[in-house]
Amino acid sequence: MKILVIEDEQALYESILAYFTDEGNVCEHAADFETATEKIELYTYDCILLDLGLPGGEGLELLSRLKKMNKKDGVLIISARHSLDDRLSGLDLGADDYLVKPFHLSELKARVSAIVRRKNFDGDNVIKFNEIKVDVAAMKITANDTPVNLTKKEFDLLVYFLSNKNKVVTKNAMAEHLWGDEIDLSDDFDFIYTHVKNLKKKLAEAGTSDYVKSVYGIGYKFTSL
Amino acid sequence: MKLSTRYNRVNILTSIIILIITGVIYYLFIHLILTNKLDKDLAVEENEIKQYTRTYQKLPLPASYLDQQVSYAESQKNANDVREFSYTTYFNPKENEEEPGRSLVTTVNLNGKNILVTITKSRVESEDLVRVILLITLAITGILLSTLFLINRFVLSRLWQPFYTTLKRMKTFEVTKMEAIKEEPTKIDEFIELNQSVNAMAERVKGDYRDLKSFTDNASHEMMTPLAVINSKLDSLLQTETFTEQQGALLEDIYQATGRLSRLHQSLLLLAKIENNLIADKQDIDFKELVESKTRQFQELFERNGLTVEAKLMDKTLTMSRYLADILLNNLFSNAVRHNVQGGKIIIELSKSAFVVSNTGKNFDSKERLFNRFSKSSESEGMGLGLAITKQVCNLYGYEISYNQINQLHIFSVFFDTKQ
Repeated sequence: MKILVIEDEQALYESILAYFTDEGNVCEHAADFETATEKIELYTYDCILLDLGLPGGEGLELLSRLKKMNKKDGVLIISARHSLDDRLSGLDLGADDYLVKPFHLSELKARVSAIVRRKNFDGDNVIKFNEIKVDVAAMKITANDTPVNLTKKEFDLLVYFLSNKNKVVTKNAMAEHLWGDEIDLSDDFDFIYTHVKNLKKKLAEAGTSDYVKSVYGIGYKFTSL
Repeated sequence: MKLSTRYNRVNILTSIIILIITGVIYYLFIHLILTNKLDKDLAVEENEIKQYTRTYQKLPLPASYLDQQVSYAESQKNANDVREFSYTTYFNPKENEEEPGRSLVTTVNLNGKNILVTITKSRVESEDLVRVILLITLAITGILLSTLFLINRFVLSRLWQPFYTTLKRMKTFEVTKMEAIKEEPTKIDEFIELNQSVNAMAERVKGDYRDLKSFTDNASHEMMTPLAVINSKLDSLLQTETFTEQQGALLEDIYQATGRLSRLHQSLLLLAKIENNLIADKQDIDFKELVESKTRQFQELFERNGLTVEAKLMDKTLTMSRYLADILLNNLFSNAVRHNVQGGKIIIELSKSAFVVSNTGKNFDSKERLFNRFSKSSESEGMGLGLAITKQVCNLYGYEISYNQINQLHIFSVFFDTKQ
């Protein structure tokens, strides 16, 4: 997929670019309002990551220009402003999602993947990974054409893993993804362990290989390697 | 004691004392002057009698004088120099009654004999005069005092009205509300000055508050970016190499700390936002439904700690921000789980007037600081902001939150509609 990162903080966009650039993803970046406008006008992206506070102009202005051009690019707003107004006006203007800084790169990837899937497949929202097939819209999973019954959380977890395949995903990020950051789990990640264990067990019963690897106690990696 | 009462008291007390003193002095002086006048009259009479005696060589007839009595007596001894005034009584033959009088006893030489002459005049007129004067004085005193009292009572309280209005405005002054303190029109210089000072102070306080607030806002936003960088760099670092178990543990600690930091940060921002009433998505919320869905969300947490949950829920619609309602429930539920005991109990009750969450748990003794920021028990893993936020949310909508402990049950109650 083709992604544009509009973000002025160098350290941050470098990390995002590094995280996204693989598996044939093309990532570009713009650090100010002018460059961003130019790129938006010239090219089409699967998803635009848009920071609201930009040198040279407001991110929301960029969003409304994009919509005036009738472009179908997916837009994910990343903002330091944890403000409901910004969130609402962003979504009103046609953004697909809103993520508050600081975020986990894995969460960002999961959300971008979701936006791109929705845009590209228009209803036929299916992720394939070797023998595993996930129909996100219908919430159905098959492994080697055998249906696998997962709970809501296990399903979310699997989709999250698939969006971040070959990446180490931390338990913090998984906890925030599954429960939201509003519920303070007091850094207790036993839940994650239980859910991952159940997911692994169910996938193994369906005859898939063991893709979920534990990584130094910090998190997990979904990989076929 | 009120200023006017105090002023009244001093004023009236001094007035009374001064009036009494002047009254006494007045009385004495008038008395003295009138007595002097009587004495002069008596001396004139004496002189007349002496001249008559000298001229005609006989005593004048006693009856020939009006309003005065003259009596003669032969002097026993040779009292040539007897001459004294005294207070006596005077018999008024007309009215046939005794009246106070003034007498002069003197001697007259008649044919070589010393005759003792007593001249008595009635004092009744001068006494009457003194009495009238005294009464007038008393009446004036009374009128003066009551006027003073009334002036103090009504005029003073009206004069002080601007002061009390200013005071009331200061009492209701809230730094977060941005409206200016209105001027109370007054012509009194002191009150004009007071008003100006109060307004200047309020402006200063508001200015300081705005500065502080914008500093906090800016600081938080500036802090967000490095936090985001740390987070993303950590995520990137994780993807690079294989780590040893030891390095993994270090990384995990860093993750925990940054996670805590960003949560803390978000909580503080949220608190600031609630305080400044910046959350505006007020809407009607089916609170019962929200509580039920929140209970489902927490189900896993309840089960893991072996907690039994009893819910008694009635229909209730609240008008508030959905976001804040969510936070309110999250905090109360998290609290009930976190401070519970293994295999404990949580009771959730929703009625028309209140929402009550009770949970079993250990005793603790910082009840009065419970809703303070950063107040938490030593074993708590939270940040100590949850209940502070909950209280702020309640304050915002005029709900009242209270804590009670009854029979090992910790009870948090949110009462709606306390305004009515």
